[in-house]
Amino acid sequence: MPSLPTDQPVTPSRTGHFPVLEPLLIAKGVTKRFGGVAALSDGCFTLRAGEVHAIMGENGAGKSTLGKILAGVFPADSGQMLLDGKPFTPANPQASQASGVAMIFQELDLFPHLSVAENMVIANRAFDEGLLARRDRMRAFIQPHLQAVGFQGEFHQPVGELSIGDQQLIAIARALSMEARILVMDESTSALTEDAVQVLFFVIRNLKAMGVSIIYVSHKMDEIFAICDHVTVLRDGATVGDAKTSETDMARLIQLMVGREVDRSAQAVSHAIAKEVLRLEDVSSASVRDVDFSLHAGEVLGIAGLVGAGRSEIGRILFGLDPLLAGKMTLADAPYAPRSVREAKRRGVGLVPEDRKGMGLMMQMSVRENSSLSVLHSLVSAWPFSVIQTRREAEEDRLVSERTRLKSADPRAPVHHLSGGNQQKVLLGRWLQVNPDVLFLDDPTRGVDVGAKEDIYRLVEDAAEAGKGVLMVSSELPELLRCCDRILVMNHGRQVGEVDARATSQEAIMQLAAAPRPS
Amino acid sequence: MPSFLYRYKEGFILIGMMIIAAIVTRGVYLQPGNLTDILRTIAPVAIMAMGMTFVILTAGIDLSVGSILALGSVGSAALVMQVLPGMPIIVAVPIAILAALLVGGLCGAVQGALIARLDIQPFIITLAGFTGFRGLAKLVTDNRKIQLNTDGAQELAAWLSQKEVIIGILIIVCIVSYCLLRFTVFGRYVRAVGDNERASHYAGLPVRRMKLAVYSLSGMLAGLAGLLVCARNRTGDANFGIMTELEAIAMVVIGGTSLAGGRGSMSGTILGALILGTVTNVLGLNNVDSNQQSILMAVIIILAVALQKTRQSI
Repeated sequence: MPSLPTDQPVTPSRTGHFPVLEPLLIAKGVTKRFGGVAALSDGCFTLRAGEVHAIMGENGAGKSTLGKILAGVFPADSGQMLLDGKPFTPANPQASQASGVAMIFQELDLFPHLSVAENMVIANRAFDEGLLARRDRMRAFIQPHLQAVGFQGEFHQPVGELSIGDQQLIAIARALSMEARILVMDESTSALTEDAVQVLFFVIRNLKAMGVSIIYVSHKMDEIFAICDHVTVLRDGATVGDAKTSETDMARLIQLMVGREVDRSAQAVSHAIAKEVLRLEDVSSASVRDVDFSLHAGEVLGIAGLVGAGRSEIGRILFGLDPLLAGKMTLADAPYAPRSVREAKRRGVGLVPEDRKGMGLMMQMSVRENSSLSVLHSLVSAWPFSVIQTRREAEEDRLVSERTRLKSADPRAPVHHLSGGNQQKVLLGRWLQVNPDVLFLDDPTRGVDVGAKEDIYRLVEDAAEAGKGVLMVSSELPELLRCCDRILVMNHGRQVGEVDARATSQEAIMQLAAAPRPS
Repeated sequence: MPSFLYRYKEGFILIGMMIIAAIVTRGVYLQPGNLTDILRTIAPVAIMAMGMTFVILTAGIDLSVGSILALGSVGSAALVMQVLPGMPIIVAVPIAILAALLVGGLCGAVQGALIARLDIQPFIITLAGFTGFRGLAKLVTDNRKIQLNTDGAQELAAWLSQKEVIIGILIIVCIVSYCLLRFTVFGRYVRAVGDNERASHYAGLPVRRMKLAVYSLSGMLAGLAGLLVCARNRTGDANFGIMTELEAIAMVVIGGTSLAGGRGSMSGTILGALILGTVTNVLGLNNVDSNQQSILMAVIIILAVALQKTRQSI
């Protein structure tokens, strides 16, 4: 970890004046759709010169999308943006950089095999490379910026060998070298250690003193109060409020983040019975700690928390993907410590992953082939040829497609033609065919249209009614409140609460999920 | 391009080529004797191409098949000379075939196990096999050929080199490979692993076992090809099969199977083999210079792959 030269004088802003808090970048009514999903419906935002301004909201609120539009990563569908009072419509990141707006991506866009110096100058508008890369010229160019962010490593070191914290400093230095006046930082601390976060905060304060304005996209309450002057809250794609951090508090922000009408009339009926199907006692893996709950037949247990809190990781332990490092699991009254996916499946545990394209479906295979994949070994005729009984396969697929209400044109069509909602139904259908006793659903309605969502909720209820134990990870609090009997709340890799879904509120869950890191 | 034409494009290409071939050779091409000659000539490489199809479908590659062919030919020659002389053909042939499959299968299994367990890229492991197995063949033969010079050995080799036998074996391998890929769980798993290995793992498929299986299968068929080549030449030679791995890959690729895995068919490979065989045959009949043949082959490969690109959206 680099130690910053704390005795170095803070440099005045570029123009030589002290920062004045006048509006620098204004966004009004910004909208953006991705396919059928509206990520932003009314994004509004006012950045004043020299301030550190947070954009915050739940998962999927649209904050990252707004940040990217401000940085020119992609254009908005509609709305207005003004920079220095003039219309600002960058067609691409290069155009924003030319106007002085740069983005520090969550997944840093550096080249791991190139050196620090090469990363600084590559495709950098402010550096005239000429035909040959001259070491001394590169050094002269990059030195002041690297010094400004307090990077103390070697310039020729491959960036991939640096710590994430240092890599982030390089990314910031690069943005500074392109004369950025506004930096958009997207969830910059998600991969940083505690120390590196403090270093980053120090750098941010220095940047502020240099006259750089910062847009800090985050969902981390404690950081926002620690480093930001102002905060704008987004909810379901729209700006619902903003305030100076000195004039507000966590409770008020949470109220803004989640304060939506919840339709309690659609609440699922409880099908839980007393029989326990799964029990975790003080379970820990490499990514989560102190997970402790029991799941009953017919029960739907929700898992809530912010991104990175460890929700999916519980599923990984259950499904044999991550090893159990501490604690005990009991499945159907027998000890359970799966060492592989196949063992988990054999013991009656299923997992529907959150990334259906990357981890779930075979995009070139048909609906029917995807649907039967996990039970194919049972759809064969007698030995020795293990020939697939296509009629049985088609029938099973038809039955399961009815249950998921999959309205696809042709079960023989490749899956990549289907909409997100239908693709999710195919994946769910696969696991319905397997018919496990415990089913872990990781964000099953992500990127799914409203109609398909209802179908999936009904499916969850059907599974519970059939006596399964269902665990459901979701970032949508209303969804959890509606479908679940109880809800676990994860925070920074630890289980911090277990609430009754019918007796709790979105605010209460978010309080637990967004509370500062428990010590 | 109309979807009907596109879906069976390899078939149409073959028919088109056959027509051109018939014209260019003034009908000689279509003589039954010539057509069966083509089948006999392409048989060893086509057999390997079918094993290669399984491997490529899993998004892998097997560069070692030519070397396994050499090792197979050497092993077969040694077996025929040492062990089999007294036996009647009806016993000797199955034993020779089994032995060839075993030797090849073992070579393939070693590679498959390394690929599955160590998670090293197939290109690298089979590249090692490419040099290693041929080196082993040279070591075992002390860099000399093994001639089949006893009567019994010659008789066995002659039997195995009959057109009917070779074509028969080719057809059997075609049918078995086709059915394996199209109708069985194994075939489905092969495509799934090539399409999305991670998702296959999450779906509970035995991914490691599948990889071991396809490389073993590829090796087995390469061993069998080695036996056929040995019989045809009455010799076991560590220098057999050079470049055949690339010919096999060419057949698979022309047949429409994607090197990225997950997409392709056995019928495509069979057609690819026939297309390649036709081109070589026609050029030979017209006494085209072998260097020019190579260039033409290159053009065909590029055209075949380019034609696949017209409708891909993934």
